[in-house]
Amino acid sequence: MTRLRRLLGELRDAIVQAAFSLVSHKLRALLTISGIAIGIMTVILIFMVQSGMSASFARQLSTLGPNTLFVHKWKWGVSGSDWWKYKNRPHVTMLDLRALQQNTTLPVAIAPLVNTLATVSHAGKDVKGVDVRGTTDGYLDATGWQIRRGRFITALDQEIGANACIIGADIEDAFFKGQEPLGQQVRVGPNMRCDIVGIFARKGNAFGQTQDLRVVLPLSSFIRTFGSKRGLVVAVVAPEGKVRETEGEVTAVMRNARHLAPDQEENFSVNRQDKLLEGFEQMMKATNITGILVGIITAIVAGIGIMNILLVSVKERTREIGIRRAVGARRATILWQFLCEAVMVALVGGAVGIALASGAASIIDLISPLPARVDPRVMLGGVIGSAVLGVGFGLWPALTAAMLQPVEALRYE
Amino acid sequence: MALIELEHIVKTYDLGLSKVPALRDIHARIERGEFVAIVGQSGSGKSTLMNIIGCLDVPTAGIYRLSGRDVSTLSDDQLADVRNLEIGFVFQSFQLLPRASALENVELPLVYRGVAKKERRDRAVEALATVGLEDRMKHKPAELSGGQRQRVAIARALVTQPSLLLADEPTGNLDSRTGEEIFHLFLDLHAGGNTIVLVTHEPKLAARCPRAVRLVDGLVIADGPGREVAAANAEALGAEALAQFQAAERAAQAGARP
Ligand SMILES: Nc1ncnc2c1ncn2[C@@H]1O[C@H](COP(=O)(O)OP(=O)(O)OP(=O)(O)O)[C@@H](O)[C@H]1O
Ligand SMILES: [Mg+2]
Repeated sequence: MTRLRRLLGELRDAIVQAAFSLVSHKLRALLTISGIAIGIMTVILIFMVQSGMSASFARQLSTLGPNTLFVHKWKWGVSGSDWWKYKNRPHVTMLDLRALQQNTTLPVAIAPLVNTLATVSHAGKDVKGVDVRGTTDGYLDATGWQIRRGRFITALDQEIGANACIIGADIEDAFFKGQEPLGQQVRVGPNMRCDIVGIFARKGNAFGQTQDLRVVLPLSSFIRTFGSKRGLVVAVVAPEGKVRETEGEVTAVMRNARHLAPDQEENFSVNRQDKLLEGFEQMMKATNITGILVGIITAIVAGIGIMNILLVSVKERTREIGIRRAVGARRATILWQFLCEAVMVALVGGAVGIALASGAASIIDLISPLPARVDPRVMLGGVIGSAVLGVGFGLWPALTAAMLQPVEALRYE
Repeated sequence: MALIELEHIVKTYDLGLSKVPALRDIHARIERGEFVAIVGQSGSGKSTLMNIIGCLDVPTAGIYRLSGRDVSTLSDDQLADVRNLEIGFVFQSFQLLPRASALENVELPLVYRGVAKKERRDRAVEALATVGLEDRMKHKPAELSGGQRQRVAIARALVTQPSLLLADEPTGNLDSRTGEEIFHLFLDLHAGGNTIVLVTHEPKLAARCPRAVRLVDGLVIADGPGREVAAANAEALGAEALAQFQAAERAAQAGARP
């Protein structure tokens, strides 16, 4: 009971003294507090953006089948150094596509993909930045997309280069509120008019961007309008459990189509989702490392600020320490009196940082399509983190205060 | 058993290049209920000795027993508790917390004793009343006169009802009238049963203590009734101090023979 009362009395005293000490050095306290606040805010925001990205990536993955292979000039998930090697490879062409369609046996679906961003217009109204894709009838099977109304592209459309298109839900909303889009025309790009023959089911967002702002054309019509400079990506869907075999077959057929000798290196890549995933994980690792680095730098900068505040405080209050020790304060009392001050600075900084991060998150949430919110667990982490920071960097100055000899402290001028 | 037993106490300050012998071989006993003055020239080791008796400092050699316990065997925490429970220390330079009110300063030792808030307040008020400061309790040290500050310091030393009251030149910073008032306070406390050790450089105060100890260069040169020791000390201090002392003597005799 007596010990508890002593503890409470000391705690109250420590808090009052710490507050006094901070208020009497407003500028220095303010600088350190804002240092901690900015650091904590930055770290919280980095991890918030990162978790937002991985959430939408997970959604994106589920929209692409896990059994799909992508034949492409580029190797996915490879960064930087080999750029020229891939750049100089030939594009995947219609010839390659045809070879794949004719000479493979395993795939359940094959579809070429090529896309560009273009303006789509109807009745004098423009929508910019529409994802315009050229493909063939295998597309639905290869991607899992669904038609809500009307039909998809047929082999015949592709054959004759028909001016037919399927529109996404956002295009429907933009041009045909309350009207029947099927049978109407839109203009795609500068000069292509095409008939709407189908409407996609709504897909929602991926990577924070709508997937419904799109128009799909027959590949032949796309090439006629936008040219063939880009080359193709050919999506090949392997039967369940036969991804490896299919990959082997596709590679063999492609090597054959490209007339590669057995000792020649491949000049195309057969990509899989998990390669994309690898690339994504690398990116996540990079943001993680960035977050951790920023966190460490922040912690050091903020910690030095805390340490400085405490060292000055210990110096200024040396006599006071002597007085307290002379009337019965133990070393531990002095120790946690100063720790209290350190933790107080750190906690105020942490709280301000969390508030700033929450504010920034609501602004991001308002003005961007990314849903942004600071997780309560992250807030708790911020509070605990700043308290640990305070104790960690306050410990040494507080210990020097606690180890002072009473006479020496009393003599200090 | 004596309250204070000092056996061959030596204190040497090590300044790296040179060693300063502040106390050379102090041998003394002080019983419970005594009122002892310590006199001596500046630099003779009075404060050093008081700090050791007050458990604020430790001797380089020798044994100090407080209530029979060898202080050198106590841990730092135990020493803190001894300072809190058994000793009241009045410093020459007051040593009050500048940001705390008089009342809070006096409460401080009770905080470390774990006394409940209400009782703490009551006892601090009582101690301040004892030194005649009941109307200055909310004042900060900077808002008090020197004599008032010293009285706050005395109230802080008294509030724990220590068995030993130590005062290092408590009147040194005060004018003679205020000094006299403070001295009377000590006489009253002594009459009430407190053990008091008082450092003073004023021969006329030492002369009124039942016992005085005179230090010269860290050695006890004289130990006896206050008047005799004080007279010898005043002589050593020089003609001016002696004249002052004799004037005080005459005044005291005149006052005693109305
Ligand atoms: N911290 C210290 N470091 C070095 N020497 C010290 C220290 N404290 C005291 N001394 C020396 O020890 C000797 C005794 O000092 P002390 O303070 O005990 O004297 P004093 O009798 O209290 O003097 P005064 O009447 O002036 O207060 C002096 O020579 C002093 O210089
Ligand atoms: Mg002294």
